[in-house]
Amino acid sequence: MSISASPAPPRPQVAETTRPARHEPPIIVFQNVSKTYPNGAAAIRDISFTIPPRDFVFVVGASGAGKSTIIRLLIREETATKGHVLVEGQDLARLRRRHLPRLRRKMGIVFQDFKLLPNLTVAQNVAFAIQVTDPGRSHLKEKVGEALYIVGLEDKLNTFPTELSGGEQQRVAIARALVHRPRIFLADEPTGNLDPDAGWGIVQLLLQINHRGATVVMATHNREVVDLCRRRVLAMEGGCLIRDEQEGQYLKEGEANL
Amino acid sequence: MNPVPALRFVVRVALQNIVRNRGIAFASLLTVTLTLLGAGAAVGVVFALDKVLQQEESQASVLKVFMADHISFASALNLEHTLASEPSVQTASFENKDQAAAQASSTLGLGGALHILESSGGGNPLPASINLHLKNIAAVTAINNQVSTSDLLFPGPHQTDYNKDVIPRVEHYILAAQLGGAILVAVVGAVALVIITISVRTAAFVRRQEIEIMKLVGATDWFVRWPFILEGMILGVISALLASGVLLGVGVTFGSGGSLALGVGMRLAVLISLGLILGGAVLGSFGSLVGIRRSLAT
Ligand SMILES: Nc1ncnc2c1ncn2[C@@H]1O[C@H](COP(=O)(O)OP(=O)(O)OP(=O)(O)O)[C@@H](O)[C@H]1O
Ligand SMILES: [Mg+2]
Repeated sequence: MSISASPAPPRPQVAETTRPARHEPPIIVFQNVSKTYPNGAAAIRDISFTIPPRDFVFVVGASGAGKSTIIRLLIREETATKGHVLVEGQDLARLRRRHLPRLRRKMGIVFQDFKLLPNLTVAQNVAFAIQVTDPGRSHLKEKVGEALYIVGLEDKLNTFPTELSGGEQQRVAIARALVHRPRIFLADEPTGNLDPDAGWGIVQLLLQINHRGATVVMATHNREVVDLCRRRVLAMEGGCLIRDEQEGQYLKEGEANL
Repeated sequence: MNPVPALRFVVRVALQNIVRNRGIAFASLLTVTLTLLGAGAAVGVVFALDKVLQQEESQASVLKVFMADHISFASALNLEHTLASEPSVQTASFENKDQAAAQASSTLGLGGALHILESSGGGNPLPASINLHLKNIAAVTAINNQVSTSDLLFPGPHQTDYNKDVIPRVEHYILAAQLGGAILVAVVGAVALVIITISVRTAAFVRRQEIEIMKLVGATDWFVRWPFILEGMILGVISALLASGVLLGVGVTFGSGGSLALGVGMRLAVLISLGLILGGAVLGSFGSLVGIRRSLAT
């Protein structure tokens, strides 16, 4: 199973629907979560939702609505001021700092700005994630090759990030996030810096990753993508969860333009 | 975690840090070397002074209390007993005039002179004495004060035989060298620590992107820390080697015979070098730990 590496996959080619496992215990739980930053900014106000394993969820909302804060709470870069965030049943507020690496290795994380190391090649960037967590792991090359194959960049091993397009750079970041075979894949505006075609390619890839069994949470501004995919939508406004729909759309009829 | 590739990663990053930020690394190297030079020199000086003190002490802890010629053997023995029962006295032994003469002729080669004096009717000029071996050098003054009031003593300025002034003076110098060394090491050491911290903080800033990604993909705090600690340790140990080299060079230049300057032997020189290497490594890794702390805060 691999997807096309061509720069502009045909659209709208929506991947096969993956059925979220609603009968299983949820993999992500937000329970009356509030987050107020130290400067007093209330980014999240008392939101609750659960995500079953293998679900694909868009988090949408205007700038400042609290989308990135949800991601930061999930990777425990921030802790909730009130309420509980649970990942695989583990309350992140009670997670000890020395167990944080274990949580992060369960997760693949990508951002709008790729966060690639410019002085390393594509293959080295992907290998880095293994070298700093599990140095000496066998079959490093194969694992890197496999991840780059999934994202369609197996022929760019020795290229440097600056020689790649934005879409290709995001694919490298996704490959790096995949090397630990994460059960949860988090993407914060992964298409924010990309043109529509490249952005669509990235979304296809995330759907593919979901289809392979990972739970995907993608924070986005990309209305076209959300409307085409018809997946679950969590809509945020001013830190509140205003809508949680299966097969949702970016805007509900009559809703103000976000 | 497999130790060999992990070690390779740590060493590579540490060396890269030093080479990439060589300006600040050189500054750390210089200040740590100065600190260790100060520490090493202070140890050498204190050692030399301590040896002088030990010599003085070993001489001074043998105290001769000279007896007046007129006293009876009984009262001499009486005094000997009194002194022997003093807690600070190890042994007390009576030496009569003949024994003193024999001692003088054998160790000082004065046999001829004494013989001439005796045969010309002058008699034996040497006084009998009680020879005390004290447990503690500090007791000398007290014992001396106690016996000097006795009328059994040999009249004249040299009632007892020890050099009052030298010991406190040497002790004074040792204290000064220890204090001066400690202050120098503390001040320069603090500067060195600050500069190592800045050096590692700079390296961490240059690598902030890498550190961010390491934390994101699940590297442990210690894995993030180790390259920087090693960087500090390498700088500390190189500084220690430089300082040892300089001290050894100075020692050989001003030394004589089998020993270095100030009478420092090779054994002590090796010990000082090892101490400096340990000190450099501790200084370096401690500075690094402080320097990397902020990067791991989030
Ligand atoms: N580190 C921070 N310190 C203080 N306030 C913050 C911090 N991060 C975010 N905020 C505030 O919290 C609110 C939500 O921010 P968040 O980044 O979650 O929004 P977002 O939905 O991701 O926005 P965008 O679409 O612009 O990325 C905003 O008002 C923001 O100013
Ligand atoms: Mg955001």
